[in-house]
Amino acid sequence: MTSHPANGLDDIVHQRVRLGILTIAHEARRVEFSYLRDTLGLTAGNLSQHLGVLETAGLIAIEKGYAGKRARTWVTLTKAGQAALEDEIAQLKLLISRIEPAGTSPS
Amino acid sequence: MTSGTAFPGDDPRELLSGTRELTRQVRRTQRATWFPLLVLAAVTFAAVPFRYSPHRLGTCAATDTVRVCTAYPPALLVYWPTALVLAYVVIAAFYIRRSQARGVGTRVRPYVVAGIILALAMTGSLVWTLYHPLAFTLAGPGLFSAGPALHSYSFAIGLALVVLAWAERNGALLALALGYLAVVLVTATVGPVSGHGLLGWPVQLVIPGSVLLLGGIGFLLAQRPWRRAA
Repeated sequence: MTSHPANGLDDIVHQRVRLGILTIAHEARRVEFSYLRDTLGLTAGNLSQHLGVLETAGLIAIEKGYAGKRARTWVTLTKAGQAALEDEIAQLKLLISRIEPAGTSPS
Repeated sequence: MTSGTAFPGDDPRELLSGTRELTRQVRRTQRATWFPLLVLAAVTFAAVPFRYSPHRLGTCAATDTVRVCTAYPPALLVYWPTALVLAYVVIAAFYIRRSQARGVGTRVRPYVVAGIILALAMTGSLVWTLYHPLAFTLAGPGLFSAGPALHSYSFAIGLALVVLAWAERNGALLALALGYLAVVLVTATVGPVSGHGLLGWPVQLVIPGSVLLLGGIGFLLAQRPWRRAA
């Protein structure tokens, strides 16, 4: 008996905001804190908490610097983060295929 | 009420569609397709006056049956690689500056690298051809100008645009780049091989340049860079 695909989900990645952060960092290659905050509609404190979880897990790298006088925080996806994102997307697709009868996939 | 998932509130369909929407949003923020198109249109139009620059005799060679010589406009041979390398540097600087202002990385590097390599490779290929006149023997004996061949830089521009379309995951740009390459190939047959036709060279530049210009204006209106992406 095969295990349910939900068992393959990583609790750190399988969360709306953190999945969003990883998705944006993957597509953007390098993304600034304020872009993440505005795009995901979060407060700075809330975003910092999620970034902390992802950084501790080794899924992102955070780099702080300055652009002129303005402090900037840049986020990049690590190789582990890339693998975790790909795995999460694969598990989500598998889960959807399990819970939806054939031919009723959403548009 | 369950939505059919072990994680209420984290419906996999919503999560997946959310990631797709975020991906599209980031790509919209990153794209500045209009800028390279307008810059390269300007570079192409600026090459037109060089059509009238004087030619210099290259080298001659003969077989048992034919004698072939080449001629080329030195100004054009210098103009294209210089202008293209400068254009790609300007495009890279624009994308990097824009990336820093908007807070998302840029995917322009493969395009700029490909564009510069193609420009330099085209120059090397043309210089080789000038010193190997027998490459023209299929066209018969006589004096052959490398002027029309110099406009094959337009083809190099098109190939680099295909790379940009891939880097930006931009289907509309891919369609434009392929259409542009088709136009370059068709207009290359307009002028005679010798390149001395009155309309040959300008047509080979003005029509592809117009495609770039119109494409650039189209993307400018579609991407509306004056409206900061959300």
